[in-house]
Amino acid sequence: MICAGIDAGSRSIKVVLFDTEQQRVLSSSIGDQGVAQEQLARGLFEQALRDAGLERSRVAAVVATGYGRNAVRFADTTITEITCHARGVHHVAPDARTIIEIGGQDSKVIHLEDGGRVRDFAMNDRCAAGTGRFLEMVATRLGVDWPKLAELGQASQKPALISNMCVVFAETEIIGLLAEGVPVPDVVAGVQNAMATRVVALAGRSAVPPVYFTGGVALQPGMSRALAEALSAPLRVAPQPQFTGALGAALLAGDRHRMKAPQ
Amino acid sequence: MNAVPRKLSLTDWDERYVQLRHTGLREPPYGGPLRRHVAQERDYRLEKLRFDNSPAALRLWNFLLTENERLHQARARGEKIVGSMKDLGTVPVMAYALPGLRAFYPDGAWWTPCLMECSDRLLQQAEGLGIDASFCPVRAMLPAFLNGEHFPRPDLLICSTGAVCDDFSAIAQRLERMGFPVEWWEMPRRRRPDPGEASCALPGNLNAPQLQVDCVREELRRVGQSLSSLAGRPLEEAMLADGIRRANEVRRRLQALRTVAYSAPGAPLPALEMLVAEMLAIHFCSDREETIAVLGELLAVAQARVRQSQFVIGGDAVRIFWVNPVADLRAMNLLEDWGGRVCGSDYMFAHALDLIPEDLPPLEALARTALADPMVGSTADRAARIVADCREFGAEAVAVSRIPGASHCAREGEIIREIVQKALGLPTIELEIPPICDAMLPTLGSRLQALMETARARRKK
Repeated sequence: MICAGIDAGSRSIKVVLFDTEQQRVLSSSIGDQGVAQEQLARGLFEQALRDAGLERSRVAAVVATGYGRNAVRFADTTITEITCHARGVHHVAPDARTIIEIGGQDSKVIHLEDGGRVRDFAMNDRCAAGTGRFLEMVATRLGVDWPKLAELGQASQKPALISNMCVVFAETEIIGLLAEGVPVPDVVAGVQNAMATRVVALAGRSAVPPVYFTGGVALQPGMSRALAEALSAPLRVAPQPQFTGALGAALLAGDRHRMKAPQ
Repeated sequence: MNAVPRKLSLTDWDERYVQLRHTGLREPPYGGPLRRHVAQERDYRLEKLRFDNSPAALRLWNFLLTENERLHQARARGEKIVGSMKDLGTVPVMAYALPGLRAFYPDGAWWTPCLMECSDRLLQQAEGLGIDASFCPVRAMLPAFLNGEHFPRPDLLICSTGAVCDDFSAIAQRLERMGFPVEWWEMPRRRRPDPGEASCALPGNLNAPQLQVDCVREELRRVGQSLSSLAGRPLEEAMLADGIRRANEVRRRLQALRTVAYSAPGAPLPALEMLVAEMLAIHFCSDREETIAVLGELLAVAQARVRQSQFVIGGDAVRIFWVNPVADLRAMNLLEDWGGRVCGSDYMFAHALDLIPEDLPPLEALARTALADPMVGSTADRAARIVADCREFGAEAVAVSRIPGASHCAREGEIIREIVQKALGLPTIELEIPPICDAMLPTLGSRLQALMETARARRKK
């Protein structure tokens, strides 16, 4: 059975086609989020079908997740990112007990039980300082793209101290630091450290190892370093972290389809 | 008149109201179609809410939404108006023991911006008065006192101080400086008795040093003297005892309603109506006897529905224990839309739901009850009660609603979550709900739906 997961995040849309018999990903696609969310999701879905050489009729079930999941009306059902990331990470890393996911507009800490079921979770909801939006703001301010930002963060010798809780005020701090001649890599690493502190505060005292880092921001090596330091514990990056939500959605689509199917 | 229980939009209620009138609906003087509150008082939020379809719910809403009218009428009749602030359920018991006094809860203005969808501009006016959005929405009370567009200017303001939230304290002090005389009474922070110290049992399975109870009792005696002066007659012990008995009648009905509604296999009444009903405990919505009648009718509806296994929310809904009142009433509707039902609550005035001891001298009984206020004790005490209630009502998850700006304990939600999680292993979530939450629906929805999914997955264990 082939199932699809669509993770319509606030920054990008990810699609995964998964073969439940062969237990493998057939294809995946990713694109920037935009105003016409459903159209963008459909386009990426069709692209994933083409890449896998499949007709739409071969897909038994589609689950949408992410901030824009309700806009994906061609999906059979919607499931939240918490459940989908938990399922996706558990599939690729069955030993995971804590998941940290940093999305474009929120961040989450998910605690898993044995077997991968969600025990509890926490999400930030007060400010953008612990989210991917913070990094986007820095990238825009520095005039660099996402991969370059990751590269800069790794080159830091002495991360700057960003003290403000508010992204807007933090931007003022960043301008001030740059004006004072603080090297750009140190500013980027400082922002990563500030984000990590806020995200780890969500985990409280209950981040049971192994801790996995997932979501698109996990592709930034500096960010996983900052999180590991803030956690004072090793951190593993989930394979293909930008796709774990969509993968989880595809796996859950398969589960649900099996449950509905006549025995 | 009886129909299958369900939730109705305001438009649906227009039609239902006409039908009910045709079939002989009898209403109290404050009755009428809900729609009129939109037209007359600009309660625009009603257009976004969904209401229970029973005549009892109609009466509850009309009772709630005509409170200011009731206060103005009382003033016109020559009754004295007492603004009872912060104590959440003690001073009104005393005020209503004296004929000619009518107590209300000015802090209740915190829902006005929600109901009027901010068309009242109270929050903006509060900012102009130096109380900005870093304070709790109760700041709406400050301009409401000044502009006189809502409740009448009280003849007496009684406000507890000490173990109260900083936001409220700042606002009340500002009010006094603006010329509203406030009678302050001290509420100490409740502590556990030291070894060897005389201890006193409080409602809610709590204890406090007798010394603290004595202090509160004497403070309440002083409050009683002020009320007596205003009423022009002494507050005799027998009158106060009778006032306690009537207040307990309200509390008994609420206890019965909570037990029926929260322990039934489905929800016989929606979460929103339950929230409003529980709020009546604080100050009886400015009419104690009518509160008893309103709750009686609501209880009868809930009991009948449970007997007939007819529910507004079915048995499959996730049983959520809800902590703290929501600044936007719509959140209670949304919780149900997203697959949950409230099966227990702690709206910060659990002490106002406990029976006031009737076998003690009245002031001693009131002092003990006042000291059981969850806001004057430790968060651990509050969480212990939440844990016990979660067990009693079979909660599957806990939602802690954070009140924007509220500072009586900035970390309280997190502490409650930790204790509940440790004691019961239930999934928990903390949410911040502003006075109008429409713009936050996707994020609120994600959080609540994730909570439901997590709780449902645990059922399959």
